[in-house]
Amino acid sequence: MTQLLLFNLFNGLIIGAFYALMALGLSLILNLSGVINFAHGGFLAIGGYLAYMLIPHIGFWGALAVAPVLTAVLGLVVERILIRPLYGRDPLYSLLLTFGLAFILEDGTRYIWGPGTLPFTIPIWLSSPLSNTLFFLTGYRLFMVALVVAAVTGLFLILNRTRLGMRIRAGTLDLETVSVLGVNTRILRNLNFGLGIYLAGLAGVLAAGMLGLQPTIGSTLIMPSFVAIIIGGLGSLPGTLLGGLLIGVASGITTVFFPSASEAVIYVLMGLVLLVRPRGLLGEEGRF
Amino acid sequence: MTNDILSGRLDRRSLIKAAAAAGVAQFAAPFVITARAADEIKFGLNDPLTGTYAELGKNEQIGCQLAIEQINAQGGILGRQAQLLVEDSTSADTGIAVQKARKLIERDKVDFLLGNVNSAMAIALGQVSNELKRLHIVTGGHTDSVTGTDCHWNVFRVCNTTRMETNSVSKTLFNKYGKKWYFITPDYAFGHTLQQGFEASLKQFGGTEVGASLTPLGATDFSSYLIQAQAANPEVIIFLLAGQDMVNALKQAVQFGLDKRFHIAGAQQELEVLEGLPPDARIGTWVFEWYWVQPDVPHVKGFVADIRKVNGGKVPSARHWFGYVAAWTCALVANDQKTLDPVKLAKALENFKLPPEIALMPYDTFYRAGDHQLMPTLYVGNAVEKGAAEEDLFKVDELVKGVDAALPVAETGCHLSWPA
Repeated sequence: MTQLLLFNLFNGLIIGAFYALMALGLSLILNLSGVINFAHGGFLAIGGYLAYMLIPHIGFWGALAVAPVLTAVLGLVVERILIRPLYGRDPLYSLLLTFGLAFILEDGTRYIWGPGTLPFTIPIWLSSPLSNTLFFLTGYRLFMVALVVAAVTGLFLILNRTRLGMRIRAGTLDLETVSVLGVNTRILRNLNFGLGIYLAGLAGVLAAGMLGLQPTIGSTLIMPSFVAIIIGGLGSLPGTLLGGLLIGVASGITTVFFPSASEAVIYVLMGLVLLVRPRGLLGEEGRF
Repeated sequence: MTNDILSGRLDRRSLIKAAAAAGVAQFAAPFVITARAADEIKFGLNDPLTGTYAELGKNEQIGCQLAIEQINAQGGILGRQAQLLVEDSTSADTGIAVQKARKLIERDKVDFLLGNVNSAMAIALGQVSNELKRLHIVTGGHTDSVTGTDCHWNVFRVCNTTRMETNSVSKTLFNKYGKKWYFITPDYAFGHTLQQGFEASLKQFGGTEVGASLTPLGATDFSSYLIQAQAANPEVIIFLLAGQDMVNALKQAVQFGLDKRFHIAGAQQELEVLEGLPPDARIGTWVFEWYWVQPDVPHVKGFVADIRKVNGGKVPSARHWFGYVAAWTCALVANDQKTLDPVKLAKALENFKLPPEIALMPYDTFYRAGDHQLMPTLYVGNAVEKGAAEEDLFKVDELVKGVDAALPVAETGCHLSWPA
């Protein structure tokens, strides 16, 4: 039993890291622009599909590098054309827009690549377990964790060591003042959106290696992202990270005792957090 | 917030413009369906075209469409042309599926109802078609009760029952691969009845169930369930999932190296799933309900060629065959009996044998009288990374007759009551 618990704990951390990666992009966009990006899952799927198209030409590593960038470019375009006009208005407008966009992206991928699952292959040396006892520690999953760590570090460095990052952080606190100080907030929000979508595309490539690549891959993965943000706290990136890890572990541990509740438990957790500490574990008060 | 939307923005002019646009839309919208010849025989296909089962529903639709084309080329039904109406039932929302079924029957006045892939929807649709008295052929929903406790006089089924699937493969698994089984079961009707079927087999042969994991439908990460399975130390891990769930679970099982330590197997497997897996994950012992490589069975090559033309060059799967057989069943029996009356057609379909060019199977294929279940052939075998042809991903080891694998009618729990 202890071994089972430990296994599930470790495994939960791995899956949690993946959820955290998805949620971070979403959180970035939400914090600065106040846009609840329901289409985040759609961009995730596009990242996976673009990688699938690129692999025969530039290999897995090439696709891993390029596909998220292409997805980010798509994100920049979407932000400029669709979302920017809605900034001054009720948050409901952008929510409805991204909600509809999610359907468009899913049906779009279905139209272009068909409803069937596409065989996404990862490099052989990555897809085997490291040892027989710790069989769930496959090279791929450890690589995923390493990538998440790299992405989080990269994000931290961007936010704290670059001018863009400084402006994003300032904008999160008070966008109006930042604008008054002479920063082009339109471009700022655009780039921030692109950064968030880059993380979505990256998560998409990773997901395609773990799961079957089909149009619904985005919509199945989007909900844990939202739950991670709510549990971790709106307005806090470390909170989102923590939220992701927590729900991964909770889901894993629940499987030991109540397997059929392993998906529901993250919502129970969310409910508890909302009841006891509505701002989230590390969130700021009065954020929304 | 509501005030924002209602006040200011929406003035009288905008309202009038919107109303005018709505009015024009009524005329401008394609109303070809109602304008077309009212004397066409309508088939209504209610299948998922979005969501998890989108591919399976789409393939059933392609099979139906080919059948309709052929039916029309051969003179139609009772001298009238056939037309296929398709409605998306979604993959998970039974309420919508039922709504669409009612629309097809009550508004579009279809003569035959076909569908659904989703077992729960198949049952619900059966209730609707029974209430509205339409001949209903269930294409791809497998749970036992459709031709068991929830059977109706007007409902017939092409695909196998979950019990037929488990019975056909369980002996092979027990004799060749091991007596201790662990189940990975999706938590809905299909999964439950598959597990029950295998449990009955285990009891019969004297094997042991070392454990089972109920997985939520649509789960993406199976690692924790696979950890449970490994800890229980079985000899065979039985995957009872379908569609995307099966792809995810198998992919992860192979990544964990579980296929090297335990035998991987299950009941139902589909070409769509094997195509979606990376080649190294195409493993395991399974049952197919129809397979495109049947060199000794006449007409199969022709069917494969016909489907390739309308399926982007890809070979047909069992789903194409389900749709094809369902549509042709209606046409054959209607032309045979020279009527469209559902009761007469249903009575005629009992013990109705499909002609070889429709059945596309080695043994006699017919609808059993007592429960309206088609008795096809089941193909037991193993998935292979690649066979002789590019798309040959399954090696058939054994052919099992449906009548042998099925429960006797008395044990299915089906009691048909005909209208007076």
